[in-house]
Amino acid sequence: MIELDGVAKTFTGQVRALDGVSFSVPGGTVCAVLGHNGAGKTTTVRVLSTLVRPTSGRARVAGYDVVTQAADVRSNIGTTGQLAALDGQLTGRENLVLFGRLRGLPREAARRRADTLVDQFDMAHAADRRVANYSVGMQRRIDIAAALVVTPKVLFLDEPTTGLDPRSRRMVWDTVLSLSAEGVTVLLTTQYLEEADVLSDSIVVIDHGRVIASGTAEDLKRRAGYDYCTVSPVNPADLPAVLAALAGIEGAESDADANTVSVPAPDGVGTLSEVFRRIDALGIELADIGLRKPSLDEAFLHLTGDSAR
Amino acid sequence: MTGVSALTGRLLRSTLRDDLPFAVIAPVGFFVVFNLALRAVIDTGPMSYAQYLLPVVIIQVAFLGALTTVDRAAQDQRSGWGLRLRTLPIPALAPLAARMLYCLVRGAVAMLAAIGAGYLFGFRMAGGPRDTATFVVLVLLFTLAISLGADAIGTRLAATAIAEEGTASQLLLVPQIVLAMVSTGFAPLAAFPQWLHPFVRYQPVSPLTETLRALTTGRPDTPDLALTLAWCLGLLVVFGTVAVRMQRRAG
Repeated sequence: MIELDGVAKTFTGQVRALDGVSFSVPGGTVCAVLGHNGAGKTTTVRVLSTLVRPTSGRARVAGYDVVTQAADVRSNIGTTGQLAALDGQLTGRENLVLFGRLRGLPREAARRRADTLVDQFDMAHAADRRVANYSVGMQRRIDIAAALVVTPKVLFLDEPTTGLDPRSRRMVWDTVLSLSAEGVTVLLTTQYLEEADVLSDSIVVIDHGRVIASGTAEDLKRRAGYDYCTVSPVNPADLPAVLAALAGIEGAESDADANTVSVPAPDGVGTLSEVFRRIDALGIELADIGLRKPSLDEAFLHLTGDSAR
Repeated sequence: MTGVSALTGRLLRSTLRDDLPFAVIAPVGFFVVFNLALRAVIDTGPMSYAQYLLPVVIIQVAFLGALTTVDRAAQDQRSGWGLRLRTLPIPALAPLAARMLYCLVRGAVAMLAAIGAGYLFGFRMAGGPRDTATFVVLVLLFTLAISLGADAIGTRLAATAIAEEGTASQLLLVPQIVLAMVSTGFAPLAAFPQWLHPFVRYQPVSPLTETLRALTTGRPDTPDLALTLAWCLGLLVVFGTVAVRMQRRAG
């Protein structure tokens, strides 16, 4: 449903924002594009939504080329950007009617659709107030609703939950999941690993305009290498001693807030017993010891760290 | 067409709400203040100063109205709203067309307000229906031409820091004041020093206001009509071309 093949974009007089990005997203799935600020996430979305012409490479959305068939692409996509794309002087309902009209609905149909969306997004209490007076969360909700006045084949969400409170974030997540269940293909960008983990069927990690990893969340965690062995002493004061005991093992790190020391465990249980042996020899009492998969955070740092090196 | 009408409707709904007071107060205010301040100072012969002054007030307000287009065009280009507009299945020129239709509506409102104020001070549309129709068409032609120019500048400047501050329109304040003040709109040619005459005589505002004035008197002769039309249509073609090109490039 979405295909990128060697897409590069160089803005005049600047660095390469995208440097040969290739990936594809099957229909009806959710793909999260993960990366730091300036990694190229937004440029990727802008190329796919026909706002930016790639310098080289090809991209297709819903079967249409984003450059040569831009009009067909536009008929099949919905977009929300990082800025709320609404007219602040109009009410939420007026905005929805306007976008319905701009998508070619007759006046009456646009009005009915707006009413449906207002109910669906639980906005009845605020729909007739000016958008400029909305909270960020409410603006984002109307913004996403506006992308759905005509159900698109492909929905692009550029950092849809940045700056939202947890409750609004939850609502956006629910919306994405239910759209995906209806068969809409969703591509979202995010800096939140948790979000990518919860929402997406596949993740593409972008750094410095390149895809440095892609796959499912599980794939990426596995790609980060090995499991971790984490120990937690009963007495937080013992934390430095635990760290010192494990200092010989490469990659040992302590986290004072969590009261834990983690070491990579390439040998799995073998590493765990080695860790236990060393700490037990010091007579430090442990509250917890265990093996765990790397978090997506660790996987991400590992992957971007690799590409920086 | 749905796109253009929806976008024009949007501007009428959202922008005119804030814009309307200015579109009405500016022409009335200008007319009243200039009339009171200058009617005893400037000799316009047998014609009352109210009658003499009105056309340039309309033109001055058309300039100010065009200035607001600069910011609106820049805003349509750089805001999240403008970005999304370009991902919608509407013609690339629809936003420009909508902004221009809006300018025409706003210009018509301002013209009516100025004429209304003029009537209170003795101004009269003494020409026949044809003269009056020509008067309206010329005002709207000129409004459209300068709005296109302003729009092109706004679209061009959208990516710059000036547009970010929302002050792009102030760039055009000076040329617009010069054109209005150094014309025969406020005072007859004789009031200007000799060396300025060529500029005063042929710059667009002078022939335009001369023609508009002639059309209000009921006299059959409009000696500057050809020059006025040349200016209006010339500006329309030049600014129109540039505005369309800017909009296409931005899209």
